[in-house]
Amino acid sequence: MTDNVTLTINEEEVSVPARTLLVDAARMAGVEIPVFCSHPKLDPVGCCRMCLVEVDGPRGTAMMASCTMPVGDGMVVRTDTEQVRTVQEANLAFILLNHPLDCPICDKGGECPLQDQTMRFGPGISQLIEPKRLAKKHYDISDTIVLDQERCVLCWRCIRYLEEWEDKPQLGLFERGNDTIVDIQDGRPVDAKTSGNIIDLCPVGALTNRVARFAYRPWEIERTPSVCMHCSVGCNVRLDSRTHQLRRIVGRENMQVNDQWICDKGRFAHAWVNDENRLATPQLRKNGKLVPVQWSEALAYIANRLTGIKEKYGADSIGAIGSGKISNESNYALQRFMRAVIGTNNIDHRDGGEVAALPTGLPALTELMKPQYGPDPEVDTVVLFGLDPSEELPILDLHLKRAILRGGVKLIIAHARKIELTRYGGPYLAYLPGGESLLVSRLLQAVQGTALSDEEPAIQAAAKLLKESESSLIVYGPMAARGENGPGVRDGLEQLAQAVGEGARVAYVGLDGNAQGCRDMGVLPDGLPGQFPLDDGDARSRLEALWGCELSTFPGYTYKQMLDSQEMRALFVNGANPATESPDWSASLEELELLVVTDLLPTETAQKADVVLPAQGWAESDGTYTNLERRVQRAPKAVTDPKSRAAPDWMIFTHLAKQMGTHWPFSDAHSVTAEITRAVPAYAGLTWEALGDQGRQWDSDSAPVSGASAGRTLDGISETAFGDAEYPLNLVTGTVLYDGGTLFSLTEQMHGMAHGATVTLNPADAAEFGLDAGSAVTVRSEQGNLDLTVAVDAQVQAGCAWIPESLPGAPVGALLNGSFTQRVKIERR
Amino acid sequence: MELGEFLKGAAEIGKAMGVTLKHLGQKPVTVEFPHEDIPIYPRFRGRHELRRYANGLERCIGCCLCEAACPTEAIYVEAAENDPDAPLSPGERHAKVYELNLLRCVFCGDCEEACPTEAIVLGHDFAMANYERKDFVLTKEELLNPGMPKVIIRPE
Repeated sequence: MTDNVTLTINEEEVSVPARTLLVDAARMAGVEIPVFCSHPKLDPVGCCRMCLVEVDGPRGTAMMASCTMPVGDGMVVRTDTEQVRTVQEANLAFILLNHPLDCPICDKGGECPLQDQTMRFGPGISQLIEPKRLAKKHYDISDTIVLDQERCVLCWRCIRYLEEWEDKPQLGLFERGNDTIVDIQDGRPVDAKTSGNIIDLCPVGALTNRVARFAYRPWEIERTPSVCMHCSVGCNVRLDSRTHQLRRIVGRENMQVNDQWICDKGRFAHAWVNDENRLATPQLRKNGKLVPVQWSEALAYIANRLTGIKEKYGADSIGAIGSGKISNESNYALQRFMRAVIGTNNIDHRDGGEVAALPTGLPALTELMKPQYGPDPEVDTVVLFGLDPSEELPILDLHLKRAILRGGVKLIIAHARKIELTRYGGPYLAYLPGGESLLVSRLLQAVQGTALSDEEPAIQAAAKLLKESESSLIVYGPMAARGENGPGVRDGLEQLAQAVGEGARVAYVGLDGNAQGCRDMGVLPDGLPGQFPLDDGDARSRLEALWGCELSTFPGYTYKQMLDSQEMRALFVNGANPATESPDWSASLEELELLVVTDLLPTETAQKADVVLPAQGWAESDGTYTNLERRVQRAPKAVTDPKSRAAPDWMIFTHLAKQMGTHWPFSDAHSVTAEITRAVPAYAGLTWEALGDQGRQWDSDSAPVSGASAGRTLDGISETAFGDAEYPLNLVTGTVLYDGGTLFSLTEQMHGMAHGATVTLNPADAAEFGLDAGSAVTVRSEQGNLDLTVAVDAQVQAGCAWIPESLPGAPVGALLNGSFTQRVKIERR
Repeated sequence: MELGEFLKGAAEIGKAMGVTLKHLGQKPVTVEFPHEDIPIYPRFRGRHELRRYANGLERCIGCCLCEAACPTEAIYVEAAENDPDAPLSPGERHAKVYELNLLRCVFCGDCEEACPTEAIVLGHDFAMANYERKDFVLTKEELLNPGMPKVIIRPE
């Protein structure tokens, strides 16, 4: 790979790596060769013939397709001769034969390679007098993508993307010759989770964005480089806005994170940014009703009530809930307010203190990536433990698929469901919710060679793969490490990695967009900023000097404890909606003396609040987000609603601190970012300016060492009595990409894609209970019940009922009521 | 001497009266504006109009090219998709919002040049005085119905 070859392009000598394609070599030399089918991230196909150049060969000069031809030593290439130009003109005239000239109504107009190349390399006139070919013009190939078969120039880019990256060949070419069209297979819509990338790839306007259809013109939009906040991969995106509205999102290249791909949720689900129900003014409960008030009145009220509650019940009766969906700056300001102004460690977020996490996330996404031209992944075996990237982290899913298919990576999956990635045939280790640590110990025993001889073949196969691997990565997610079971899973996996050997590593990944950053900022009841324990002397003295206060060493309540506890008197909820998670919590929120909700939309929790503060979201204020590989990335302000009075969280808490008698030195979001670089040693130097457009990873060596797990033992592991006569099924829950959450459901065009309000059963169980797909049922647990319809799928294990979180109108929290595992029964309605 | 001067003066008066008499029978060049219409050259660029096709469909397809061509950013277009059963314009796209700010417009005619469907044209109406600033922003409805008596001209 490192060998260079020298060739001559247009009389100039160029030296490029061997096996480079001629078209790429020319690009490196600054010579433009027009292309349609060729793409630097897809395999060459050579079907558009636009890239023909003159190459000197043994039998004289020949016209060769530069996109399929690797460079050779001493090659002589010319791209600017009369003959090349003639061929380019003829080829463009040929491509335009059937391409309709409806550029004025085409969304691609203005950023269209065909337009640009026609202007640059085209003949300038048309000889065509015959009518053009007619085909389907407005053809929805999915809820989010519109195909115009007339505009298609048959370059295969969409087909190749779906085959090579998604491994879902859902588009194909049909008919022959002049009648060739691109179409979906057997009428089944394209449902790949990252299908929207084919819109960016299309060199003409054949594939367009149905959500942003006709909402933008390339010359009139403002482009803001940003990052996506839907999940913790942190894909780089570009926000296109106009007239204070977010019009469209497209992928942005970052070879460390997302290559240039983004998922459909990140691309299309952005209607919430400009939703008309966004909170725009502070509201205060007066006579039982929330009424709009001035900021000054709302903040004075909160400060006054907080002072009273603190005097009467003590600081530890006040708590705060942060969120992995909001920026580092917001979370930092919230926890500084709680720790320095209120004086309590009652601060947590969902999947925070209850989850046995590890501090540093993935070593690096590049270790799992297989770009089109680049080295193989460094990791050779990946264990996914309780993580379903296809639904939770779609771009990680894309990287993994590519790594398996082209990088030789082996995949071992341990999950309560037979998730989509199991189709690659790696060992699948099933467990029932609550049985995670048992599975870990069985796997550990198999690796250590102490397993029973009749151990499951899948576990033996997984152990064999792990022992053979030179560099394995065990990744687990919050679903597998919640509650009492969590520390066992974490420690077990760490011991497993030790048993496997030197090349094995364990990583925890959170799911929310800023799950890592939220932990780094210290939104944890037992962790200071930088994830230091509360009794860490260095961290304490650094923060006390920075904040000018004494810090409490008394561990705070976790998320669940704050909501369960009867001792809480006042609660701040920032960007979270616990009221939907449990009927009990919903009731206890109403018991609070003071509930302050800071959010974007009037959520169920906000309806119960005494004060509702309107926050600026991800697209509206500068903020940094830390992804699952510790990459701190910028999301600058892209839009502002001029009529809204919403403020960024850090500003709200700065003013609140001032009302409570503390002056914070924050003048803008960047000054908060700057303080974070001083408060969190790992973030040193990661100022707004230093982060740049591609973000920077913080050094994992500067993280505190997680609790010495080597000394811990896996005691207390016993097979739980799964299933009983009354409640025969285990409830399996988790995240799906297209759920009923507000960030997704406000995009109307995607409603058809949302996961329905269903309970999915194994075919055997469905037959046993006499249920069919579509049966209306009531699912009951000891905690509550939920009306759903039945779906039947073999991906669900026998003895399990799969109900994802936040389904439209069907909160699984009604069955869980704050617990992590639950048994259910199903009755026909 | 005096007689000579007198005759000379009379001749001058006669000459001047000749001019008067010559024009007495001719039509006047002044126009009693606003009671009478003034002549307008065919390529005069006045208040804009959005045209329709003979079948009633709007010519404008909401392509925003006029907006791009406009040197003073006087035009604002917001496009939307046509309902296939009741299209407003031929094809898939129409202008949902079309606003033209007459206070910004310099009547250069670049929008006319840019329009691929000859939808926006500069008409012959030049009396565009108005009382309120917001009334100078013409909406799509006003532009599609150029005859609307929005402009008030003082009667005196």
